[in-house]
Amino acid sequence: MADAMHRSSSSTTSFPATARGDVRWLDVWTRAVIVPAGRRASAIWVGTAIVAAVIFGPTGMRPSDLTGLALHHPGVGATLAVTWMLIYAPTARMLLRADGAAFLRSLPGPRVAPFLLGVAALFGLQAPWVALWVIGEGFVGIAVIILVTLAITLLARWRPPRARAKWPNWRHPGAALRAIQLRALRRRAGDALVRGIGLAILAGATAGLFVRNNELHDAAASVMGAAVIAIVLVPAEVGVLLVILGAHRETAWLAAIAVVQLVATAIAIGAAALIIEPDTSTVLWLAGTSVCVALGSALGCARMLLAAEELPSIASRTVVGSIVVAAYAIVCLGLFGIFGVAAFGATAILAIATIPQGSS
Amino acid sequence: MTVLHVDKLAVRRGGRTIIEDIELDVAAGEIVGVVGKNGCGKSTLLASIAGVLAPRDGRVTVDGARVWGSRRDRTHSRHALGYVPEGADPPGFLLADELWSLCAASRDAEPPSQKLRDALGLDELRATPLDRMSLGQRRRTCLGAAFVGPPKLLVLDEPDNGLDAKRLDALVGLVKEHAAAGGATILASHDALMLEQLDARVFQMRDPVR
Repeated sequence: MADAMHRSSSSTTSFPATARGDVRWLDVWTRAVIVPAGRRASAIWVGTAIVAAVIFGPTGMRPSDLTGLALHHPGVGATLAVTWMLIYAPTARMLLRADGAAFLRSLPGPRVAPFLLGVAALFGLQAPWVALWVIGEGFVGIAVIILVTLAITLLARWRPPRARAKWPNWRHPGAALRAIQLRALRRRAGDALVRGIGLAILAGATAGLFVRNNELHDAAASVMGAAVIAIVLVPAEVGVLLVILGAHRETAWLAAIAVVQLVATAIAIGAAALIIEPDTSTVLWLAGTSVCVALGSALGCARMLLAAEELPSIASRTVVGSIVVAAYAIVCLGLFGIFGVAAFGATAILAIATIPQGSS
Repeated sequence: MTVLHVDKLAVRRGGRTIIEDIELDVAAGEIVGVVGKNGCGKSTLLASIAGVLAPRDGRVTVDGARVWGSRRDRTHSRHALGYVPEGADPPGFLLADELWSLCAASRDAEPPSQKLRDALGLDELRATPLDRMSLGQRRRTCLGAAFVGPPKLLVLDEPDNGLDAKRLDALVGLVKEHAAAGGATILASHDALMLEQLDARVFQMRDPVR
């Protein structure tokens, strides 16, 4: 019956024809809800493809090795599940809340079809996760997918209660800026933060699996692990940096140095440690190397943000700049091994020293 | 004849109660202006009436069908109403004439008439995507969509916001004509002069629930 109502407007003649064809409720709903969610999920697919290439490369694991490890090793299992939940929750939120289609609810439209489409998309857009578990564990994998999807649904539907804001009492400009940035992240960047934490855990987990799978130790492990963390962390850092840029452009560089890189790296190291254990020496090597790379990346990103401060293209420069900095770190580590950390750090300091005149 | 009946309506958003115990009737041919302080829940009330925001308690009936009732009731009630949201924010990728066509097809009605198009200046907006329009243009486009049918009940959330003087006069004329033809209108506005011009019955919202 509902479909009968969604007949083509082209059958009417009083309005000049513009050859738009049918405009159906369900088509518009799909474009307003599923397509944007698909767009967001495509970034996750690209990220997981990179990670899969690292983990399941020629010398790497098979999906069943990873899923088996996750099922029999609580640390790996929890890390994997939490990572996927955090990464996918923002996409699931778009599907479940369907805020983009609020207006459409005021029009008569089908109810079952959007529900079924939404459920199909909720599972379908998890394709990398679904593929991993179905290939790895078969029917047990399907059960895991359903359980994790239920948890994601609860997470995505949860709306944190609104905190009662106190009257701000910022005693100096620095405190005010810091407070504004933190508020911007907390209130405007919920999704970016959740995704960022998820990607940081994914970066650490990938590095940990790479090190563990290739039986690397100490310096060799730290070089490879730090390189993996550096590249997988890029989307996590960029998402947060872009929000800070929107809140207060002039101090984004400060956040890049002081918070974003180091916090993301700390999360990644924590995730890697859970997987590498009990090799404490390797974890310490990895932590030391990754922190040094993070400090160098922080300086590199700060340089890029300061140089682009006045430009309208600062957002795209932030994205490209972050990728370039990460790629350069990997080149240094690849060419010089553990000494690449020093080369990368020296370049970063040099870059900061060559900030264009006029930049703050 | 009552077109809109609101009975003990309560709506919660973000963990807090925005409106509660709202009782309201709008008869055919009547114009009701919802007024109140910022944040008192005018838009929440209208969104709930329009079927956009589900209530926690209470009942909304449009043209005898419950907006939040059975499938048949939901379809019938939405068939009978035209809604302009506060932000005038239907999906931004739609062109204006696609939105009108969608509303016309959904309500089994003809697209905007020449008279409506002239009054609101819709022809110049036809091929423009909503997300490239100014607030006033989006509002005009949404008004064009709301009047398609025309529906038995117009639910207009601050319909004057963003309109220039010429279009504001046109809006007043269109709403009065709609009422004269037996249509009901409920609108939220801070413009006392416009409500006076419309000869609207005023429904005063209580202060914001804390």
